[in-house]
Amino acid sequence: MKLFAKYNRFNIIATIFTFMVGSIAFYFVMHYILIRQLDESLHGEQQEIHEYVEIHQQLPEIQNTRHQWVTIEKTNEQIHKRRIISYDFYNEHEREFQSVRQLQFNLNVNNTLYLVKVNKSELETEDILKLMVLVTIGMIALILFLNLLINRKIISRLWQPFYHTVNAVKDYQLNDRKPFLLPAEPIDEFNLLNETLNHLMQNISRDYQVLKAFNENASHEMQTPLAVIRSKTELLLQQTEWNEEAVKQVLGIEDGIRKLTRLHQSLLLLTKIEHTKFEFNEPVTISTLIQQKLEEKQELFESRHITLETHILPLTIPFHPHLAEILINNLLSNAIKYTPVHGYMHITADAESIVFRNTAANGPLDAGKIFQRFYKAEQNQEGIGLGLSIVHEICRIGGFRIEYSYEKDQHIFTIYFKNNP
Amino acid sequence: MKLLIIEDEHTLNQSMAAFLTASGYICESAMDFHSALQKIEVYEYDCIILDLMLPGGSGLELLKHLKENNKTDGVIIISAKDSLHDKIEGLQMGADDYLTKPFHLSELSVRVASIIRRKQFNGKSVITLGDIEIDTVAQTVQIKGTMLELTQKEYQLLLFFVINKNRVISKSAIAEHLWGDDMDMASNFDFIYAHIKNLRKKITVAGGEDPIKSLYGVGYKLQSS
Repeated sequence: MKLFAKYNRFNIIATIFTFMVGSIAFYFVMHYILIRQLDESLHGEQQEIHEYVEIHQQLPEIQNTRHQWVTIEKTNEQIHKRRIISYDFYNEHEREFQSVRQLQFNLNVNNTLYLVKVNKSELETEDILKLMVLVTIGMIALILFLNLLINRKIISRLWQPFYHTVNAVKDYQLNDRKPFLLPAEPIDEFNLLNETLNHLMQNISRDYQVLKAFNENASHEMQTPLAVIRSKTELLLQQTEWNEEAVKQVLGIEDGIRKLTRLHQSLLLLTKIEHTKFEFNEPVTISTLIQQKLEEKQELFESRHITLETHILPLTIPFHPHLAEILINNLLSNAIKYTPVHGYMHITADAESIVFRNTAANGPLDAGKIFQRFYKAEQNQEGIGLGLSIVHEICRIGGFRIEYSYEKDQHIFTIYFKNNP
Repeated sequence: MKLLIIEDEHTLNQSMAAFLTASGYICESAMDFHSALQKIEVYEYDCIILDLMLPGGSGLELLKHLKENNKTDGVIIISAKDSLHDKIEGLQMGADDYLTKPFHLSELSVRVASIIRRKQFNGKSVITLGDIEIDTVAQTVQIKGTMLELTQKEYQLLLFFVINKNRVISKSAIAEHLWGDDMDMASNFDFIYAHIKNLRKKITVAGGEDPIKSLYGVGYKLQSS
């Protein structure tokens, strides 16, 4: 729910509540005033009748109207001063119940006691009150309507800078060498937001650049000493030829260098994939690439007696040729590595996805961890645990989706070219 | 055969020079951009081993200079920069090969030999070692006139040994030469053993003397008399 919709909900409830309470209070006040007015006009009638009797010493001729009528009858009942009552009666003429205000008082004409009842219909009062209720409802409706209008037009315009900022943050990539700069805004809150974000992004960007430069330099600086060590061991090997123990020691060093070099190259590649903006716009024929990699690794299949089955449809997608090769190579190497001798491997490729299935030796892998760096199913493995991280990273920047599942004693890696399930 | 090794890391420069000198080349060294430029301008080399990051300038500048002056020296770039961009740029500018640090000296030696063979126009494409004759253009091997039926890997392996004759070669250097560095090493070592076994068999069946010597099961050496 949008902030304003939430705010508006409270606002509307409060408005309606205020108007209701106000209207009810207003109704009673108005009712009280109108009844008092009615009573006063009844008193006025009483006054007039009294004056008439005083002057003429006889009962007045009464002109009854629809809203006011007077009855005079003889009585023995003595009313102290006067009394006022309200009552409802059924008006045959208008076919509805009507509230009537009645003033009763005694009249003494020539020593005869009369009871005078002056009736006034409350119809007008009710009409006024009805009108008031209508006006109130109308006002609430008008306010709600105006609120809606303000919400639609003005508020969305007022919030424009906010959405602009959010989009700018969403679209920003640290890899872009463009500086992150949000414009100054006339509204204080948005301006504060933009200034704070600008400041934050500048700091992040600077730290990122420093870290990136450090990573790159450190990696490159490491390569030369590695080359020195490797060349020296090779020279040493020539001189220790007749000493078996020495040859074995030197080759131990050599093996260490080899592992370190592979690790280093994989890390460099990962860093590069993360930090470089690769364009996925060259058509790469995945089907041919898979065939080519299968041929390269034929020896491995043969030596491990792996039965290979493929269903590869011709498939060309926009990709980065170098990354595509790494992707297929790593997936294939990984599958071979985890297939036991006399195992089975199945590769399918079509326009939607590539699927690598292979016999599993030791049950399912931890799906939550396999794409993490340096994750190894078994600690004593030859691999360095970066192959699948690289695959994952390539999929991420290419907008592909990679999934691992385990079914019928088989590891299944699927790459969907369209990210959406 | 004269080589120029342009590399600012002193010990690495020395190692390369020592290894290549032992392989029969005459090696000169340059440690920075300007001394390298002077040497390039004055002398002709069969092959130049060129590092890209040098004190005083870029190796690519030297390459540009060579090409602008129509020098025919072969050039092999050795760089710490693993970036594809540099590799493509270097090869487009006329370098003959590209090696990423850290490399095996035996690998460097094979690449240098290959460049020199390609640069020589006198048709000397046959390498002879004892009974073995390798035609590097036709990629065929003969022993005492008998043609050997070698697979691609066996041919590559034999050439690698012949170029690095009388040198101890580790299994990992062979594996990297044959398969690059992206394959599972443990299983590659078994393949090396199998390939070498086949190669020896083919040589002896053809009447040749098996020149490959195994060193304690960890390395190999091709012995030539």
